[in-house]
Amino acid sequence: MARYAMVIDLKKCVGCQACTVACNSEWEVPIGHARTHVRATSVAGNFPNLLSTFYVAQCNHCDHPACIALCPTGATYQAEDGIVKVDRGLCIGCGYCVEACPYEARYINPVIKKVDKCDFCSARLERGQEPACVETCTGHAKFFGDLEDSRSDVFKMVYEQGAGRLETSEVAIGPNVYYLGKKEHVNLVLTEFPPHRPRMPEAGTVWEKVVKPLVLAAVGVTFLGQAAAFFRQLMKGESLFEDEGEK
Amino acid sequence: MGADSIPEVPLPLAAEQAERMSQRQIKKHHVAMMLLHWFNAVVWLAELITGTALVVSSHYRVMPYWYLHIVEGVFGTKANMLRFHITVGVTWIVVFAVYAVFGFRTYIRTKVLHGVHIHEQPLWRRALALQCILFQSEEVCLDADDLRWLKTRALRILGRSNEPLPPQGIYNAGQKLFAWLVYLAIPVIMATGLVMSYHLIATTVVAWAIVLHFLAVGFVVSGLMIHVYMGAVFPEEKPAFFSMITGMVNELYAYRHHFKWWKEVKMQEREWKQAMEEGSEKSELAESGSPPAPTDPLATAVPLPRRGLAGFLERVFRRPEYWPPYVAGVGLGLTLLATFILMGEGLGASGGFTRYLVALIAWIAPSYAVHSSYWSNYLQPGQSPLIAFLVFELIGVAVGGFVSGWLARRVRIAVDKGPRISRKTRYALALAGGLLTGYGARLARGCTSGLALSGGAVLSVGAWAFMLAVFAAGFIGAYFMRRYWL
Repeated sequence: MARYAMVIDLKKCVGCQACTVACNSEWEVPIGHARTHVRATSVAGNFPNLLSTFYVAQCNHCDHPACIALCPTGATYQAEDGIVKVDRGLCIGCGYCVEACPYEARYINPVIKKVDKCDFCSARLERGQEPACVETCTGHAKFFGDLEDSRSDVFKMVYEQGAGRLETSEVAIGPNVYYLGKKEHVNLVLTEFPPHRPRMPEAGTVWEKVVKPLVLAAVGVTFLGQAAAFFRQLMKGESLFEDEGEK
Repeated sequence: MGADSIPEVPLPLAAEQAERMSQRQIKKHHVAMMLLHWFNAVVWLAELITGTALVVSSHYRVMPYWYLHIVEGVFGTKANMLRFHITVGVTWIVVFAVYAVFGFRTYIRTKVLHGVHIHEQPLWRRALALQCILFQSEEVCLDADDLRWLKTRALRILGRSNEPLPPQGIYNAGQKLFAWLVYLAIPVIMATGLVMSYHLIATTVVAWAIVLHFLAVGFVVSGLMIHVYMGAVFPEEKPAFFSMITGMVNELYAYRHHFKWWKEVKMQEREWKQAMEEGSEKSELAESGSPPAPTDPLATAVPLPRRGLAGFLERVFRRPEYWPPYVAGVGLGLTLLATFILMGEGLGASGGFTRYLVALIAWIAPSYAVHSSYWSNYLQPGQSPLIAFLVFELIGVAVGGFVSGWLARRVRIAVDKGPRISRKTRYALALAGGLLTGYGARLARGCTSGLALSGGAVLSVGAWAFMLAVFAAGFIGAYFMRRYWL
């Protein structure tokens, strides 16, 4: 089975947003939202040693996704090839996963009222095409491929040229979008757009910590009480009960 | 227990009195109420099975993984399961809404009977009345007796008390408490269910709707367990269980368990009797007090059917006016199994009619039939659309039906109709109903035979959803059409 990954070459990215546009038109992303988008970092360093680059944001299809565990219905799942997908037939639009994602790669689509995000253009992959953003990238800065295939571009960039992940000591869940470039550039992206810790929405916390134990206790106590009464009924016999009214 | 002496408090009964009372039946539940009850039971079972299997996140999951796999296996995919859950839930809401509306109408009618003209009251009073019928407040209000009942009931179950239970109304305090729980929870369950199904209002609202849905269902389930236990397992309340099937309870049970209600029924009976006696005072027959001597039933009636296997076989094969429904059900099931094995497909009806129609159209207007996107599905070059199992099965059904009617000596030409309508009305209604059913069957890609029976037998989700919808729609439709039959 494949292990798909993407590499973004920061040396080549010019911040033109062609990938954003291609993605939005391919997947009919409503205006104001994006599955992928490019953001410029601020200018760091002291003249004349200035530093600036671009952050290409999208779903990282992490090895240990934070979103999946929080999805109540299992609409979000990880396919065997590592791609994190959303089953729209199951999604109810609760937004728990949107809160959870450290990279803020998810949004609630206001048209279908369900969650939407990058899925590495799975439908295009099935047709044998590359993801829309990779195909359209004007600077050829985006690469897509299989990390288990040693002949692929991404394999070489990740394992030989040292493309890095956007991970911190706090958030290390194995993102599979890698950034190739000068160490300073990757670090600049990481300091300006750090992944946040996976968050659980308030509703989910209340559900897990209060409501679920409460319901289990209520049902459990009732069940035990009933079992005790039933046991008594068995021991005592039914006829005795029926005669009681006569006394 | 004569009609003259209605005691204020439940008194101990002599053995023969108790025996006599246990033979008499009192009507407790309206048939609509019983239907709603069992509809509710089926819906809750289906929704609990699928609902608990829908929560798969390790954080909120309540069922073990093997259970989730089994339920998912039945439905094929989880998305199908969710669709089923939503379909059944929405059907449930619609049926309840209809019941509430008609319940309100009935309520207004009874209030008119009692001299309170609700429809002449200001709007806010009518709204108040609506709440009354939704919550049946007169019947579910807890009073002092009820609180004592709860305490005694609990102590008695624990074996700590032998005190007699305080007298109760038509519903006992436990039932009332459960009613309150359900009245509070059901609107929450319905509203949050709709919010989640159709992703209403805002993401935050959906996020909290799941939690509230789970909480409300959880509380109802813990009450439901007691409700089911008390109704179906607990020996003292067994007549309550059967009353949900027959609508009747025996008087002894009513006396012992719902004394206040029993008293009410008795008072009404007495009033009724007095009114009857006043009306027929002049009639000498009524004066004599004793009813006319009944004719000996054995003298005129047909010989009693024999008991045991011989009698059963005789009833089925020699004098089969109608087969017992359970026998017919098993027979139908075996027939269905046989067609699956022999023909590789199940029973059906509308599909066969479609083929007859296709053959007719292809004969009259062949080019139209070939070019129609619908009819051409049934046409293959060089083969008649009539070469199909269903076509021959329908002939068999007609022949079999005739033979069965002939054996039972029921063959005659007649129009089955209600007493109030003419033959023409009946023909028109039958035609309209046939058109609707035929069109609906093709829309649903099957009828009660092909889709519900054959599909249901192979556990097709669509078939079960269809069956539930058919019964729900029938329940509603029968209400509107009752005047044509009664």
